[in-house]
Amino acid sequence: MKNLKLKSARAALDLSQEELAQKCGVSRQTISAIEKGDYNPTINLCIAICRILGKTLDELFWEDQ
Amino acid sequence: MNGRSAGLAAGLMVGLVAAVFLIKLANKDGRFRTEYDERQTTIRGKAYRYAFYTELLAQAVIMCLLMGGAELFVEAYGLVFIGIMLGCVVLAGYCIWKDVYWGLNNSKKRYHVIFIASIALNVLPVVMSAKEGSLFNEEGRIGMPILNICALVLIGFIYAELLIKGIMDKYAEDKE
Repeated sequence: MKNLKLKSARAALDLSQEELAQKCGVSRQTISAIEKGDYNPTINLCIAICRILGKTLDELFWEDQ
Repeated sequence: MNGRSAGLAAGLMVGLVAAVFLIKLANKDGRFRTEYDERQTTIRGKAYRYAFYTELLAQAVIMCLLMGGAELFVEAYGLVFIGIMLGCVVLAGYCIWKDVYWGLNNSKKRYHVIFIASIALNVLPVVMSAKEGSLFNEEGRIGMPILNICALVLIGFIYAELLIKGIMDKYAEDKE
């Protein structure tokens, strides 16, 4: 399932996938894969992304029923 | 060990040292170790597994061919080398198509230079052998140049995959 919440949070901070990837210490393709729902990141990477985007885990990674 | 095999062993050792030097040169931070993120590490693990199975299968086929006394166009050592190359193609190909073709500290420009230089360095001995007429041995099989031909095909194939995937990614990136 696509992670549109992550994509919109990134876009709100005017960050490109490459910029977010660099800040998290991962590749651009990894951020792209998370946004597309092709890859489930570990909790450590989720936390790193949340810290950079100023969001909580629930806000970015909790799937609404 | 005859002179030819000693020469090959020495060549492989020199190649190994050159590879270590080139990897250090190709990484932006000058470190030997290429860094990968968690997704890349997982995919590389799978790629190594598939490469290992390919290598096993290739060696089994080669063993059958040699035991059966099949008419071969290359020497036995060339056939073994082809098996190793097949494993490498699977490893690199799987990584490339699963978006793990660049490590976090790789310099893309330097890698392009290394690829082109490697192709040139392998073309040279093949062309020289062809000119001297020593491409085939007395039995009509391809001799030592088979190693360069295999390396050429491998590097060329991987480089072509890399370029195609790079163009596809650039197109996808623009759309995102």
